[in-house]
Amino acid sequence: MISRLAICSVALLLIATQVRAETIEEKVEICAGCHGADGKPIDKTIPTIWGQQAGYLYIQLRDFKRGDRKSDIMQPIASQFERDDMLAIGEYFSQKPWPDLGQPRAPKDVAAKAVSASGSVGCPACHLDHFQGDGTVPRLAGMGRDYLARTIADFRTRARGNNPGMSDLMLATSPDDLAALVDYLAGL
Amino acid sequence: MKNVKALAAFAAAVGVGLLSGAAVGQEVKQDQKSQIGNANVAPVTQDQLNAADKNTRDFLLTNGNYAQTRFYPGKQIGRDNVKNLHVAWIFQTDVKESLETSPIVVDGVMYVTTSFSHVYALDAKTGQQLWHYAHKMGPITTYCCGPNNRGVQVLDDRVYLATLDSKLLALNSKTGEVVWTTNIADPELGYSETMAPTVVKDKVLIGTNGGEYGIRGFVRAYDAKTGKQLWNFNTIPDNSVGVWATKDATGRDMHRNIQAEKDTLAKIGDPFAKLGGGVWQNPSVDLATNRIYFVVGNPSPDLDGSNRPGDNLYTNSLVSLDLDTGKYVCHSQYIAHDVWDLDAVSPTVLVNVKDKDGKTIPGVIHAGKTGHIYVHDRKDCSLIRFSEAMVPQENMWVLPTKEGARMLPGANGGVEWSPIATDPGQELAYAINLHQPMTYHVESSAYPNGKLWLGGAFKVIPSEKQSGNITAVNYNTGKIKWQVKTPEPMIGGILATAGGLVFSGEGNGKFAAYNSSNGKELWNFHAGAGVNAPPSSYMIGGKQYVVVGAGGNTQLDFKRGNNIIAFTLD
Repeated sequence: MISRLAICSVALLLIATQVRAETIEEKVEICAGCHGADGKPIDKTIPTIWGQQAGYLYIQLRDFKRGDRKSDIMQPIASQFERDDMLAIGEYFSQKPWPDLGQPRAPKDVAAKAVSASGSVGCPACHLDHFQGDGTVPRLAGMGRDYLARTIADFRTRARGNNPGMSDLMLATSPDDLAALVDYLAGL
Repeated sequence: MKNVKALAAFAAAVGVGLLSGAAVGQEVKQDQKSQIGNANVAPVTQDQLNAADKNTRDFLLTNGNYAQTRFYPGKQIGRDNVKNLHVAWIFQTDVKESLETSPIVVDGVMYVTTSFSHVYALDAKTGQQLWHYAHKMGPITTYCCGPNNRGVQVLDDRVYLATLDSKLLALNSKTGEVVWTTNIADPELGYSETMAPTVVKDKVLIGTNGGEYGIRGFVRAYDAKTGKQLWNFNTIPDNSVGVWATKDATGRDMHRNIQAEKDTLAKIGDPFAKLGGGVWQNPSVDLATNRIYFVVGNPSPDLDGSNRPGDNLYTNSLVSLDLDTGKYVCHSQYIAHDVWDLDAVSPTVLVNVKDKDGKTIPGVIHAGKTGHIYVHDRKDCSLIRFSEAMVPQENMWVLPTKEGARMLPGANGGVEWSPIATDPGQELAYAINLHQPMTYHVESSAYPNGKLWLGGAFKVIPSEKQSGNITAVNYNTGKIKWQVKTPEPMIGGILATAGGLVFSGEGNGKFAAYNSSNGKELWNFHAGAGVNAPPSSYMIGGKQYVVVGAGGNTQLDFKRGNNIIAFTLD
């Protein structure tokens, strides 16, 4: 897994420094290397961006460029783009169909635990009904399980530093409940 | 959308499957394009708006009239015949998400809104769609508690709408075409709009949401004809420190560490620039004195007061301004330096009240998340009295901790954004309440550039029972006259009528009428989705109608729907 990621990142950096992209298709070409040419990420720790909310994708690109969200891979890529590029990229991927990663539905007891935990801190107030997201809030339904688990863990340590409100909510939720939420969301 | 006249047909339509399409999204993916139409509607004059409190034909303003009494003066539907109330029509919108709209009715045309800032013009007699404005939302929206919209107002031949991506629009009331658009504020910095504008004397009054995102709140007036900004009032003044109040408006100690706050103030200065102070609901307008009255929401970040020393003026306050200039007149703060998000959100109401000496004076009342109804002197905003608590209060004001400290009420109230109603003849105010036991958690982080900035979390305690209630309070004594308990927390709103009734709905889909003198339930209907919106009433063709949205609620995760339901008598 690590080697695949490493290869992916080196390849992308080479592309990133060599290609002067003009059209939207050229600009997003680089994304397929990790996020998948068919919308299915090549590694389970990489997020799905096909069908994701446009505003959310824009904000993440903006934050990678600003350094508010840390990633050795994404920061140099996002740094090439201006605001209009980022908005266009967000819009481009939001129009793609959300891929089915084939993740199993959570068992009933796990789902019940997740729904209770979610209701307790009010996840649907932002991520909305069925966790589809909207605007700058991401869709979580059907997101890769490992990415969800890693992101929640990163929120709890504030390693993911570009949304302290999410860190606060994750810190107020027990690891047990969060594990149930990960299984539940991945299986939606 | 569908216009279904019979309930059976409605049930069949639901059975066909509103959630068609590959993704089970929050929207019903049907025709999402605007449809220009033709509503044969007369222009609304300022004189008509001024006299809305006496108008039984129309329901011209979000809360009935400029005083926001939500008291409908018609009485064809009364205590004796309300049992015969039945569905006149059901209109299904294209958007299946939280419905908080207050339907308004102008000359036989009804205007309703949905989540994501859609507007529909309907024939108020038949429910037939006349036009549909589907707002083309910008990609960046940052909002709290759902993609809600609470309604529109009409002046002349224009319908005024504020959108989730923080724009103000004037639409042609006949066709739904856009007349002008103005950007209110930058959604990338956390600004959004969910409230209905109040339009008066050629001014469109609008506040802003964003208290969960570190905005600097405001109320503004825009020119109704052009959309040009006329004045701006910052709900957070340049000097937000205040008087270092140690007690809340009811006299309870808030456990502030004033010295620590003063030390922080000396280090970082006044925190006014990112201090929040959103305004969620319409101002009331005193036409006699040319003043407006509204309440200001929580400081940012909600639960962490460590980097916002001082009283955080004018958060959690009643504020009055001069209508023409936007200049400050007076304020009264309920909770200084709030760290519980028990802020002021339910709209103000102007009624005559008894002062402390028993003399009748112009008053202004507000129902707080604390569970009290506060009664003020309209002249200087000073607090005359506060009501008995309408919900359990325990452990107030324990400070939030990392592990979580239990306190009642929970952060949604008491009374949330839900408008109250009043019946001046009975000297009663009717409020719907939540009871949600919660723990309050605090965490510290720096201003996150327009991102969610809660400073912790408020957590519902899953093992503790939640409930709600409808409470009638005598605002001249502060005593509770009657209370009806409901199985779930209540959010949405209430309407009182001259027929001696109050109407309100619940998250479980129940919509009911109660005797406004004693709370006895006289009629109910089950809508199949949460009835979490304020009802309205109007007359057409000699018949009185009551109308309400049944679309559930995002904040409390009540079952979503997309129905506007009108009821009448045979």
